[in-house]
This record gives sequence, C-alpha cells and structure tokens, in this order.
Amino acid sequence: MGKVKRTFQEINDKIARKEAVVMTAEEVIALKDEQGIAKATKMVDVVTTGTFGPMCSSGAFFNVGHSDPPIRMQKVWLNDVMAYAGLAAVDFYLGATQLAESERNDYGGAHVIEDFVNGKDIRLKAISGGTDCYPAREVEATISRETVNQAFMVNPRNSYQNYNVAVNQSTQKIYTYMGILLPELGNASYSTSGQLSPLLNDPDLRTIGIGTRIFIGGATGYVIWEGTQFSPQSIVDKEKTIGRKGAVLSLVGDLKEMKPGFLQAAYFSGYGVTLYMGIGIPIPILDEEMLRAVSIKDEEIYTEITDYSYPHLAKPSLGVVNFSQLRSGHIVINEKQVPTSSVSSYAKARLIANTLKESITKGEFFLQEPIESFPLKQDFKPLNTSRVQ
Amino acid sequence: MIKQKAILRFSSSTVEEPITYILIKKYDLWINILQAKFEPGIGGKLVIEIRGDRKQIDKAFAFLEEHQVKIEFLEQEVFWNEKKCNHCGACVSVCPVGALTINKENYQLEFNYQECVVCGYCADACPVGAIEYIF
Repeated sequence: MGKVKRTFQEINDKIARKEAVVMTAEEVIALKDEQGIAKATKMVDVVTTGTFGPMCSSGAFFNVGHSDPPIRMQKVWLNDVMAYAGLAAVDFYLGATQLAESERNDYGGAHVIEDFVNGKDIRLKAISGGTDCYPAREVEATISRETVNQAFMVNPRNSYQNYNVAVNQSTQKIYTYMGILLPELGNASYSTSGQLSPLLNDPDLRTIGIGTRIFIGGATGYVIWEGTQFSPQSIVDKEKTIGRKGAVLSLVGDLKEMKPGFLQAAYFSGYGVTLYMGIGIPIPILDEEMLRAVSIKDEEIYTEITDYSYPHLAKPSLGVVNFSQLRSGHIVINEKQVPTSSVSSYAKARLIANTLKESITKGEFFLQEPIESFPLKQDFKPLNTSRVQ
Repeated sequence: MIKQKAILRFSSSTVEEPITYILIKKYDLWINILQAKFEPGIGGKLVIEIRGDRKQIDKAFAFLEEHQVKIEFLEQEVFWNEKKCNHCGACVSVCPVGALTINKENYQLEFNYQECVVCGYCADACPVGAIEYIF
C-alpha cells in the first residue's frame, strides 16, 4: 500500500460530507504514539491548532459612516484613545497598544476593541480643519458594533513561531511585556502554546500562506501576508539544530463577528497595554511529513532563554529549554531552580483548537489552500539610527 | 482550635503598645507574622495568621477593638475574578509561597487561599486584572 497523499480538495470534499476525521494537535500526539506515523496519517484528515497570547501588533480599520454635514477626520479618538485617521474621510485604524490621552496608562486601543466586541457604546470624537466639501470641523458621536459600516482587524504580527523565555539577571525587578521578571533569575516567563501552536505544528509553512482560512477572535479570518520581521530560522545549541523560530503572520478578520472571550485587553504592569488574541489554524494532513510535523510534543520543542535586563538589542542567551520542562513549573538555570510562568493561556489554546475541530467536523469550516507561500529565506534587519537616547 | 488570617491596622498612638506580645501572652494565641509595616508617627499594619481557641480569639479581637486597632479578615483582601481570568499563569511564578498553580489536567489556574500571604504580587502580575488586591 503506497504512502497516503491527500489534497486540500479531497479534504474539503470530506468536510462537506461531514466525514472528515479531525483531531487537535494534542490528540494526534497520542494517536501517532499508539499507531505509528503511517497508520496515523491514514486515519486523520485535519489537525487543529490554537493559541491565546498577547499580540501587540493588532488593531482594526473602522468606517463609521458620514455625519451631516460631513467631516474629513484629521484626528479621531475612540474613548479618548487616538486612532490613525490619515486615510479617507471617515476611515481610521485603531491600534491595540495606543494609550488613552488622559493620565491613565492602563486603558488603550485593546480595551476599546474589547469593549466594541462586547457590544458596548464607544464615544467618538473627531476634528478637522474643514474643507469646502467636508465643512464640519468637529464631531462627537456614539458608535458600536451595530452602527459602524466596517470594523475589520488587520494584525501585522500575530502568532509568532516560538517565543523565547525571559529571565532577569539584574538586581532589580523589571517590568516587561513578558510580565514581571524577578531579580537574579527569580522567575522565568514564556509565551507559547507549544505543542498546540499553529506555526510550531507546520514549521516549514507548507500549508500556511496567503489565503489560509483561520479562526481569529471567535470569527473566521484569513492569513493575508507574512508578519512583520518574518524570518524563519533554526535554533542551534552546541552546533546542533534543535528547533525553529521566527515565522509570523499578518491576519485579517471581521471585528463585528468576533466573540468575547476569544480576545482580551491586557495591561502589563510597568510596560503598557496589549491585546490577547485567540488564533486557531487547521492543518491538512497531506502526507506523512505533515503528520510527523503535527505530532510534535512539548518535550521536543526547544526555545532559548534570554536575559531581558540587558539594555541592548542582542541579549545574552542562557541556554535552551523545552516546553515540557517549562510547564512543569520550574527549570534549572546555572544550577538554580527557577519558577516558571506562562504569559499565554494553554487552557484557552485548547479551547480554540477544540472549537475549530468542532466547526470542521460539522462541515461549517473549510480549509483554504494558500494562494501564495511565504519564502522561507529571510532575515530581519535592525534600525540604523542617526540618533537614539 | 481555629486558624484565621487577619489584617490589623494601627494608628500612631496604638503602635507604641506591645500588641503582639499581649495576644500571645494574655490570650494564649499562636501568632505568625506574615507582613509588617510601621511608620513612626503615622501607624502601621500587621498581616498575621492566628491559631488558637475560638473564645480566646474573640476576646483578643475585642481587646484590639478597644485599643482602636482595626481588624479585617483576610479572605476579602485578595479576590480572584474567575470570569476575567484567562488561565495564562503569569501570576504563578511571582507568588512567593506557591499559592497559585496551574492544574496539570485542565491547565486552569488554582488559587489556594490558605497559603496566601496577601503580598499582592499576583495582582501586579495579572495582565487582565483578574486578581484584585485591596490593601
């Protein structure tokens, strides 16, 4: 019997007949261990993945409709958070990490987005110098998910493949986007869903590219481009390649369709505001190579430990560790027992993978073959400043 | 025999008196000091764990109230809002006593109030405001 080969079309036909066999990336691990790769590949059509972690580079485009008389918005605020209005008259982009104008440092774009998804009223204010055709100079309004024309998320950097572990070797507590890091290796923080992670289950991005249909924030969305600083690379330890990192995606989804609980505003003490995004990507089991990829376990996924107290771009590495070790609650660094915290929620990642599995099983979600794949040979460049202080 | 955690708040006048000594010697209570903060001329606060006879504890609290020491029971000080919690676990590694853990079956957060010493580090670490700390 020859090796199994499936196409996206064959899988979608099965989904339409409600006959597709779908498992989460956790469930398929046990299947592969019990049945071996060849048999397991025959048995599974689609494997679902999920992640729920802070993703700063998230935000949404809005079109709120025209006032009477109309205004060409030059500056606009939603609940006191400035959005970018350098587009058409009533088009603007609200970013997750933008803070409110008031003294508060714990309310920002992410909170407005969450409030919007929760159906709350949002206060809008816009100003303009006025033009002959757009005579209004100032508007105030209340908008909500019911009133706007469009509100769609465009996130330029989401679902990063394999984030590092953050520690702090200095003598002071530090406040970072990886949480509070206690001095002298007092704790270690990581952010990934490991064996459930979308890009760790298809590390070469064979099945993920422009057009891939995804679960985003409780709605259906798509991969639209490579993410910013996209640079897939190997992780090397003692001259051996032990892992992958660096791929990342740009995603689009309808904010009006998203559901509370699958995205959540956050404030990291001493750092700033960000948005937790729930992302799920289904992976077609095209052949044995794909099955091998999706059956990766936490204990096989390695990442680097980085000292976040170091004030320069390239931070010192303190070695590598796998996700099974991280989830045990402690890792050993320089002979010290260091307690660990995840910043991303494994429980929610599981929920997302299961929710997506259910949609596909019920014939409500079809896989989209990428229209274009991402070239894997890319580095990301630093910024050469003329001045920095 | 009961175990009770409490916060005692002192004004600057009471802070001169050997309150802890009196609780131990006069009311025969086992006192474990979890946190202490005093500022001369202003007052202070003690977070303590008390073990002893219920009747003795009641008498001791009556004595404290007579001396203008405000008493609050600990369960109300650190409040975990399970609806907001997304079970990320950012709070787990900053807890100095391991009162917060992630369940290895369902990967959800578990908060052991008995172990909690009300330091508030978890509330600082929680990115979604699911832990409130009223101090």
